[in-house]
Amino acid sequence: MNKILAIIYKEIKVRFASPSEWLFFFILPVIFTLILSASTGPSNSDNRILLPVVDQANSTLSAQLLTELERSESVKVQIVTLERAQSKFDSRRYNAVLILPENFTTETTDKSVQFMQQPGSTDALIAKQAVQSALQKVSSISDIAEKSVAEAEKVKPFASEAERQAYYDLALRQAETGLNEAPSRLSTVTGSLDTSSEDEILYDPRANSSAGQMLTWVFIPLLGLSGTFAYERHAGTLRRLMTTPTERSTFLFGTILAQVLTALLQMALLVGFGALVMKVNWGQSPAALIVMLVASALAASAMGTMLGTFVKTEGQANGLSIMLGMTMALLGGCWYPLELFPAAVQTAVKVLPTTWAMNGLIEILLRNGGLVDVLPFAGVLLGFAVLFFTIGIARFKYE
Amino acid sequence: MKKIFLIGFKDLKIMFRDRAALILMLLAPFVLTIGLGLATGQMSSGTDSGISDIPVIIVNQDGGQLGDALVATFQSNDLANLVNPTISSDFEAAKKEVDNDHAAAAILVPAGFTNSIIPQDIETISSDTIQIVLYTNPSRPTSAGVIRSILESFLNQVETGKVSGTIVIGQMVTSGLISIDQAQAAGEAYGQSLADSGMATGSIKITSVDGEETSSTNVNTLALLAPGMALMFLMYTVSNGGRSLLVERNQGTLARLAVTPSRVGEVLAGKMFGIFLTGVAQMIILIGATSLLYHLQWGDPLGLAVLILAAVFGATGWGLLLCAIAKTPGQVSTIGSAVMLIFGILGGSFFSLSALPDWVQWISHVSPNAWGMDGFTTLALGGHLSNLAGPILGLLVMGALLFVISSVVINRRGIIRA
Repeated sequence: MNKILAIIYKEIKVRFASPSEWLFFFILPVIFTLILSASTGPSNSDNRILLPVVDQANSTLSAQLLTELERSESVKVQIVTLERAQSKFDSRRYNAVLILPENFTTETTDKSVQFMQQPGSTDALIAKQAVQSALQKVSSISDIAEKSVAEAEKVKPFASEAERQAYYDLALRQAETGLNEAPSRLSTVTGSLDTSSEDEILYDPRANSSAGQMLTWVFIPLLGLSGTFAYERHAGTLRRLMTTPTERSTFLFGTILAQVLTALLQMALLVGFGALVMKVNWGQSPAALIVMLVASALAASAMGTMLGTFVKTEGQANGLSIMLGMTMALLGGCWYPLELFPAAVQTAVKVLPTTWAMNGLIEILLRNGGLVDVLPFAGVLLGFAVLFFTIGIARFKYE
Repeated sequence: MKKIFLIGFKDLKIMFRDRAALILMLLAPFVLTIGLGLATGQMSSGTDSGISDIPVIIVNQDGGQLGDALVATFQSNDLANLVNPTISSDFEAAKKEVDNDHAAAAILVPAGFTNSIIPQDIETISSDTIQIVLYTNPSRPTSAGVIRSILESFLNQVETGKVSGTIVIGQMVTSGLISIDQAQAAGEAYGQSLADSGMATGSIKITSVDGEETSSTNVNTLALLAPGMALMFLMYTVSNGGRSLLVERNQGTLARLAVTPSRVGEVLAGKMFGIFLTGVAQMIILIGATSLLYHLQWGDPLGLAVLILAAVFGATGWGLLLCAIAKTPGQVSTIGSAVMLIFGILGGSFFSLSALPDWVQWISHVSPNAWGMDGFTTLALGGHLSNLAGPILGLLVMGALLFVISSVVINRRGIIRA
């Protein structure tokens, strides 16, 4: 036992010998979490996406459209000049810009608006949907008025243009009132596994970022465990250690346990940051959370042990751990929700431990899941751990 | 001049022989580009967001024409690529499927929905509004949002039809064009004409700035993801290059170089040239490989070439600065990796920074990544060399400034001395 504690102490001392370790241990994960949560979704105060609008028409129709857009739950309208919009769009500060041209009036027969969107921007797509929905509403009002005039003309032509216009205006007002006062015919409920809870959990990108970044930054150093083994082999300290009355299993167990414990401490710090600073709902089920964190750390350290038997130098191990850690995090849904991936890829990424770790944490954070709900995810992660540890220990070279 | 070239090419050779370095220089950005490409759907569906075949379960208990019309909408050819609807009779089972993450949403059209909008059966008519229930999957927010907007669009058409009928017939009655007795028949005829032709909604078109009707962007997102990743891992290459200066000092090869008839400035310029050459080679390989594999169009070739050279020049300055301020090669590696990741995220290699405050976006231009990404975006949107003055100037000034500062610090610390 003393030997294991001594190895754990040595590992932790070596890892934190340089203050720069804190960069990767806490500072970078926090920076990434903050930037990712701010750039992928709503903040606390106003969860709508900014939609800059250039109103060159200043017409009744453009005012109607702007009023309709201001009612939207997904976009926040900001009136800007064309020059400002163009310059901010060119420097990628605006994801989308809506331009209402001078001829955007009720009198124009072939009405259109212009929409600029940055390539690949999800915010721009959401903004476009909101514009389409507002346009549909505005055009519905004028379409109804036009239909009313057309139907009346079928029965009897109007005596004068003024009479026709009055008939149109009345229909327009009635249509506007009728559509605005229409009752809501859609009720949306967000899914939850905890039916006893009355609190509805709304999608919060901060929860995704907090969980995803925690996994990314815990997996990278745990995969880097391979570098520790390569370093000990290269420096000859492993050979020296083996000349002492220390069992090989004691060395391996101590080294791995040190990394797992450090990872759990790192996770606790990042969960604390998420819960206290970002107000992420981490406290929903502490038992489920602990099970998921331990299972994830074991799976990642087992993978690091296995990887350690394939790399030759510390440099290779560092490069591979950063590359594999980032790629597995990306494909496991730690950076973007997995729903964005094609169905075949969603199935294929189930071979990655990061996918199960992330889905298990999502189960707790977004679905109100408890201990029983996360057991399948934790079970698969432990399965990965057993498999990787078996390969890693069987192939381990002590010299 | 010859010495500078010799030192530069020697460093280029050493770097490309280092397998560990090649993992981060070439393999990592390539693999991450493919991963990001999958996330944005550029390699699969061809849709804007990458989302396709959204699994949705519809439970239609209405039995009326509107419930049937809703099912038909989800099963229509227009939505065939976007949604993958399943019809079920059990809403509780459908909700379970959503909870198990097998579907993005479940829709319930309750009994009496049609009758609450188009009263047909006076006996069963209810004054309450009957709502369609949408049960969404919290881990698929974008897919659930798409289903919600399809439903909203459908309900908007239904509402428009209802309001339209009331106004058209009501106005004709109040203006004396038809009598109250004729209203029912006129209403039925009008309803039939709407059913035949469809209520014209969305008659205002959305076009792009050049007047084309927009359905999706023509720009391949990979044309931005690939340089984003290449620029991020370019920071690894330049910091590794800077690190080599300290490694050479520790190994004594720098001292040997210093006793040859070469000036300190020549050695430093040679090292810088080596870092620059390696960076250019890395960018050309990455951008070339992704272009060949995914048939990417980069826009103006001259603009692209100048932008790559300027971006590598700016980044090289950072590599030298890291070497100037760090004490050991290990420190350069650690700080270099941190700078690589921070510049990557600040430069927009992973996510759009538009939601961040202006000051963050301003600060981000301390990185060559941000200037580089500005330039690549301009090229992707059809810009030419003449439109790249800002990014190129920014990168050149950055590189020159950092070179001067680094030279002064390296000289003061006497890193290159016999």
